[in-house]
Amino acid sequence: MVNPEEFKEKIKEIVSQQYNIEFLGSNFDQIVNFLTETKAEKIYQWISKVIERETQPIFIGSKKQYKEWALNQLLVFRHPFSIGKTEYRILFVKVKDSIYIEFHLGDHKYYDKVRKDLNLKKTSY
Amino acid sequence: MIIYNPENIIKERIPEANDLLSQIKAKYCFITGSFLYKEKYKDIDIFIITRSKKKIKTSNKKAKITIIDFNDLHSLFYHSISKSCISKDILPKKPLKITISDYWNVINEAVPVLLNQKNKYHKDIRFLILYTEYFKTGNILDAFQLNKKIKEFKNYKEILKYIKKQVPEIIKEKMKKSYTKKFFYTQAGFYKDLIGYNAQRFLYNLTHLITQNG
Repeated sequence: MVNPEEFKEKIKEIVSQQYNIEFLGSNFDQIVNFLTETKAEKIYQWISKVIERETQPIFIGSKKQYKEWALNQLLVFRHPFSIGKTEYRILFVKVKDSIYIEFHLGDHKYYDKVRKDLNLKKTSY
Repeated sequence: MIIYNPENIIKERIPEANDLLSQIKAKYCFITGSFLYKEKYKDIDIFIITRSKKKIKTSNKKAKITIIDFNDLHSLFYHSISKSCISKDILPKKPLKITISDYWNVINEAVPVLLNQKNKYHKDIRFLILYTEYFKTGNILDAFQLNKKIKEFKNYKEILKYIKKQVPEIIKEKMKKSYTKKFFYTQAGFYKDLIGYNAQRFLYNLTHLITQNG
């Protein structure tokens, strides 16, 4: 069982930037609570790989606005994992050549919602 | 109970599917996927078309319920999953609405996912193959056919080769030359800034192949 606040702090520590990352997701804390230390460690390792540019981003070639950014200014990194039989996804959003802004964690339904917001998905399917 | 395209469905599964569907309080519900055509299966994929926001459950622990909105009946996904299935009632049908731009979005997302997942790609390339085969042949693959097609690839490199071969040919055939150049030159411009990443380098080169081919 992982403490959600410690989990967020650890991620902030790895990213090491002035800008405050937003941690978002339906049942974020509950999902983190379900994580084992090993699974949390895998997520930290994945974040390190994102920072080292070893993980491939999804790029959206659209000028549409997402909050205060144009979508084509953003890179989205996706990490799927399971706890028991339930599948979860992390979407880590970065401004190109700049800061990390959002860390989304949720189930399939939440993932679909964020993908729609980010224009990665037009319909539900 | 209605059985759509029963050719590959295991007959012994039909009564169990019927039992499961009768437990669901919704008119439009159906079962598709590995439960219908594989001896060994992990989940029973049940799809329910409803406007209701109520959580629907069944007693079967393997049942995996997905809700489909009526607005999504135009999608290639719905046309594919409902092509071969066992349904409680006659399923609503709406004409397929699909564009090359939707297809490019699928490719744009599939390539980085494929390069990250490497050979654990089976779940993540379903849309890529479904769209490509549709545009290539005009045929909508059902769950069984899609699974069979995915199994033909030995590794992720073969899928990258498939993308490189099929996508330029499809775009050449389906898109107007003037629009192809405009659209893919814009996309290439976006990818150019990101060619430090293998995925965007691949996509950048692909846009060049498309414009050269067009």
